[in-house]
Amino acid sequence: MLARSSMRSTRILNGLKNGAATASKRAASSSSSAAGEASATRMNLAAAASTSLALGSIAWYYHLYGPVAFASTPAEEGLHSTKYPWVHSQLFKTYDHQALRRGFQVYQEVCASCHSLSRVPYRTLVGTILTVNEAKALAEENEFPGEPNDEGEIEMRPGKLADYMPAPYKNEEAARFANNGALPPDLSLIIKARHGGCDYIFSLLTGYPEEPPAGVVVAPGMNFNPYFPGTGIAMARVLYDGLLEYEDETPASTSQMAKDVVEFLNWAAEPEMDDRKRMGMKVLVVSASLWAVSVWVKRYKWAWVKSRKIAYDPPKEVKVRR
Amino acid sequence: MGIWDAFSDIVEAVTPWSVVEAEAPAEDKEEQPEAESKDDDDEDEEEEEEDEDEIVDPKDVLEEECRNSAQCHPAKHHFDECVERVQQQEENDGGAKEDCVEEFFHLAHCATACAAPKLWAKLK
Repeated sequence: MLARSSMRSTRILNGLKNGAATASKRAASSSSSAAGEASATRMNLAAAASTSLALGSIAWYYHLYGPVAFASTPAEEGLHSTKYPWVHSQLFKTYDHQALRRGFQVYQEVCASCHSLSRVPYRTLVGTILTVNEAKALAEENEFPGEPNDEGEIEMRPGKLADYMPAPYKNEEAARFANNGALPPDLSLIIKARHGGCDYIFSLLTGYPEEPPAGVVVAPGMNFNPYFPGTGIAMARVLYDGLLEYEDETPASTSQMAKDVVEFLNWAAEPEMDDRKRMGMKVLVVSASLWAVSVWVKRYKWAWVKSRKIAYDPPKEVKVRR
Repeated sequence: MGIWDAFSDIVEAVTPWSVVEAEAPAEDKEEQPEAESKDDDDEDEEEEEEDEDEIVDPKDVLEEECRNSAQCHPAKHHFDECVERVQQQEENDGGAKEDCVEEFFHLAHCATACAAPKLWAKLK
């Protein structure tokens, strides 16, 4: 169809070129053998040219805009953390509160010397990680500024459940000064704040190799960690096998401590997760029940429609003359 | 102990789930000191035993196995080759012209991905 229509157009073009002399016999001229060959080559030329122009423009476009520019090397990007099968991230699973308790122990004994947990008050630990008495005793270990006394001086008082966990450093400058210019981030929301979440923190804590791979120059005061973007991290490896003793006598291997502390930090970042999943379950239960009720009600309401019987009662023949 | 306590007790007895107590049970406290002292003795003995045989991180063991498995053979091959090349450069030219970070990444990615489910089966 397309070929035929293009043939017709070349025929008309030929007719125009040949001028008025051949205009009278235009049908005959197009059917003559020589002109027919010429128009066929022209037609092929035009097709080839247009096709090559189209392909060439596409190729040129991809040459210009096709390749995506990767500005950073893999080392600058950092090794992407491996996915670990976290139990608490499954749909109907809660936190393992024994693991939270162990993780809190790891945070207190290892992380708390540099990292603050300033958005978590002691009261949230009650019932999830510690008992009331344990949490109170823990809060009382620290002093917090209290009410002003008669002379208007603020006195220090022992901590209460409502107090927030104290930070190891007074401010950011003090933290940087103590850590060679690097700021240990606050860990309250760290799981939400880092790409990769739990997997990233776990990989970072356990991923320090014995020595950096050959040819890598580690800046002075830095440590090689493949998971940290740029691979140079100021925090040295802190978790070693048997670093602490768990109260439930779990063997305190590096990966066990990292797993526990990551689960604890996930709890710190989203303490509402258990309640949220419970609420989700309630939503499912209630909507399933309502659906069941609606099905039964529909059956009840439609019962007379479904059970009716349509009978045709023909009129009796009446022997009456119309 | 009113009538409502009786009701709540009945409900608690019937419900299949247990109630989580934020308060430590009061009854145990009296028994605790004795029990703890016994536990301490036991713990001391166990600690001595534990110190003798050191804790081995299952992650290290599993990842070492994975690194040497057939699954990670190509990555390990490239990494070893790179290390060899860089060491030669350091010996001959006095400085490395490249590093093995990418090769290390591929090997580490393969090893951790292979070890991840096995590790979770071992950890508590």
